[in-house]
Amino acid sequence: MLNLKSLKIYGLEIKTSVKFQSFMGLTIILFIFRLTVYLPGSVVLVSISELLVLLTFTSLYAYLLELVKAKHVNPLSFVMNVGILNAVIFFLLTFSDWILSSLMTKTEGMAINHGLIANLLSFIYSYIILSSLAIVFLAFRELYYYRQKKNVSTYFNTMIVFFGLTCVANLFNNVIEPNYIKETFLLISILLIVINSIKISWIAFIVKKEKIALLVLSIIISILFFTNFASASDNFHNQVVIQFSPMLNQFLKIIMIYGAIYFSILFFTTLFHIPTAEVYDRKAQEVSFLQYFSKLITESHDFSELAETVTEITTKVCNAEAAWIAWKDGDEFKSMANKNIGYYDSNNMTKFIFGSRLNRDFSRSFIVNLKKHKNLPQLSEGYFHFAAAPIRTHNEIKGFIIAAKKDDFMFDDEDRDAMNTFSDYASVAIENSRLLEELIEKERLEKELDVAREIQRRILPSKNPDFENLKISSVFIPAFEVGGDYYDFFEIDETKLGFIIADVSGKGISAAFIMAEVKGIFESLSKTIERPKDILIKANEILQRTLDRKNFVSAAYGLIDLKKETVSISRAGHCPILLVRNNIVENLRPNGIGLGLNFGSQFVDSLEEIELKLRGNDIIVLYTDGITEAKNKELEDFGSIQFEQILINNSNKNADEISNKVIREVTLFSQSKPQHDDITLVILKWKQKLKNDGDTEWQNSAPQLKTQVT
Amino acid sequence: MAEFSTSTKDAGDINVIYLNGYLDAHTAPVLENTFSDLIDKRKYSIVVNFKNLAYISSAGLGVFMAFIEKIRENSGDIKLADMSDKVYNIFDLLGFPLLYEIFKSEEDAIKKFNEIK
Repeated sequence: MLNLKSLKIYGLEIKTSVKFQSFMGLTIILFIFRLTVYLPGSVVLVSISELLVLLTFTSLYAYLLELVKAKHVNPLSFVMNVGILNAVIFFLLTFSDWILSSLMTKTEGMAINHGLIANLLSFIYSYIILSSLAIVFLAFRELYYYRQKKNVSTYFNTMIVFFGLTCVANLFNNVIEPNYIKETFLLISILLIVINSIKISWIAFIVKKEKIALLVLSIIISILFFTNFASASDNFHNQVVIQFSPMLNQFLKIIMIYGAIYFSILFFTTLFHIPTAEVYDRKAQEVSFLQYFSKLITESHDFSELAETVTEITTKVCNAEAAWIAWKDGDEFKSMANKNIGYYDSNNMTKFIFGSRLNRDFSRSFIVNLKKHKNLPQLSEGYFHFAAAPIRTHNEIKGFIIAAKKDDFMFDDEDRDAMNTFSDYASVAIENSRLLEELIEKERLEKELDVAREIQRRILPSKNPDFENLKISSVFIPAFEVGGDYYDFFEIDETKLGFIIADVSGKGISAAFIMAEVKGIFESLSKTIERPKDILIKANEILQRTLDRKNFVSAAYGLIDLKKETVSISRAGHCPILLVRNNIVENLRPNGIGLGLNFGSQFVDSLEEIELKLRGNDIIVLYTDGITEAKNKELEDFGSIQFEQILINNSNKNADEISNKVIREVTLFSQSKPQHDDITLVILKWKQKLKNDGDTEWQNSAPQLKTQVT
Repeated sequence: MAEFSTSTKDAGDINVIYLNGYLDAHTAPVLENTFSDLIDKRKYSIVVNFKNLAYISSAGLGVFMAFIEKIRENSGDIKLADMSDKVYNIFDLLGFPLLYEIFKSEEDAIKKFNEIK
């Protein structure tokens, strides 16, 4: 804001300004000059005085200009300042007779009174006028140049020249003849004022509310200027100012004329702008919203936030009472980001609009008036006018922005165009956020799977137990999405070895957690319970407390008694355990339901346990369906027949060689397909001790190869 | 990714779900929704036809476990029918025949439902 008070403060603060210093210096010189050597009759002295006044005015004007340039000032505040100063001048003019005459002796006449107080008072009074004029003139100048695109300084400068000429001509009023020279100058000045006043270009850029304020202000200010002009002669004020400087008096009159003309024209211009103000405001709003929107798209990737913004802006720009986004969810629409309408209503309305009843091309935006429609759904509030614009990505319509109005004013083409623009922006934003979400989701999934694989790696045994007459080999290959395979060995004592193979239903981190739990259960149960059947029964009981209904675990538990040379096996829903003996594969498949499928007597009743006497070169094979269900590119299974054949063909080899062979075959078979489930294979090969001699066949076999893959 | 879909048929009081394609951890939610919808409509007598099912994983088997309790509480049942040998073998290994009635054909399963009533 530019006003006297702030100027004073600036004046005190910015002491360094040369312009301000010269203004102060000139003021002092002028004051001393007036007080000492000045004589109103002398042409030379009057000319010097006028020159000093002109210089003072110019320096003040230049200083103020510097202040204004440093800041960006709203034209409306210039108008306000002009108004305030104009009011000040109005009061000075109105009350000058009363105030000044009470302090000075009027009858003596100012021309002959050289008293100090009278001089000081007239000086101060004239100075207030001079300062006000400087500010007002500055304001006019700024208003003139504001928002001017072309170089228009010629007109303004010419006008200033004629102002000067008018003032000078007035100074030599009595000397110069004929009189019409002065009047001609004044006439040209007025003409230039009119021309310059018409160039008001800044009105278009202010909003409607400001325009209305301006309308009122301009008429008041214009009247004030007229009044001031009319009352600026034949009174005490006039005498004081003329005595101080005839030029200033003339300039005051010119500025009053300028003000009166400028603000009259401003009033009418504003008046004519008012009807279009709304349209202009709306366009400006649209542009600023779009700017905001583009910013939002690049900064925010939260789809729901964007949706909220879209509907919010739609209601504002289209003057709609309600808006929502109907998002395609399969064959139906789902409402989101509702503004001023309930979800029940918006869902019903969407269904109605896009139902088969309205025969419309939905691939483009449209306006619809449903006021006379009979089957309109019953809404809690009566919306009748709707406008919709499709949101599409890759030529596929993802949803619609819908705006609704209650009253009789329909949506127009402008509204529809605006909504079209928003829907385009929304499409881009939606596509962006969707891509980002996918990326985040993918990364999250990969992180999660990393964790799952790490859990699995830690759960599985790091090395296989090793006995004199029992050699063990194990291979585990995790799938990308952890499959939940688990195997383990429990060395119960020197002559007893427990083993388990299990497959947890499901995949990923949830499967890995269940695996960890299963490991804990069998780890502890194997220490207290020996019989496989009893362990499985107990494990099922424990799992009942924690397992989700849709999760289950297939498992097989076995116990090898090295001293008695037997193996006992119980199976809870797992793949059969294979026994390779004499080139024949036997499927050991005692009855049993998977763990977690049934917690009643059915589980216990159905569970069987078998015991076998081990013979030399017996091979026990534990596996998960990752082997038999490994797929080739024709989506054929590796299958158990092929699996068994490989086992038979390699049965004379040691445990590691057999497992290597099987894995190689499975890998070859499914090389063109990504591995889709965990693969687990455990081979236990039994070597019967020779009765008499400690030297056994297997001791001469090749050193054990480490084939475990983790 | 392998595709999976379901369709349902209303055979009086009994509803038949037809499985189509590959039922695994990724496609299991499709079948879960199908079951949920039927239960929401208080349809508890369900026959599942496996004729066009190419593959079922453990997660797919889990879907049946998830709903059977609720259905049996409402004196309904899930009966399985028309499985290929391969699919039957997977069910059999896990001991499902002890927990579910599995029929050669859909008609047999429906007949069984009607016998009880």
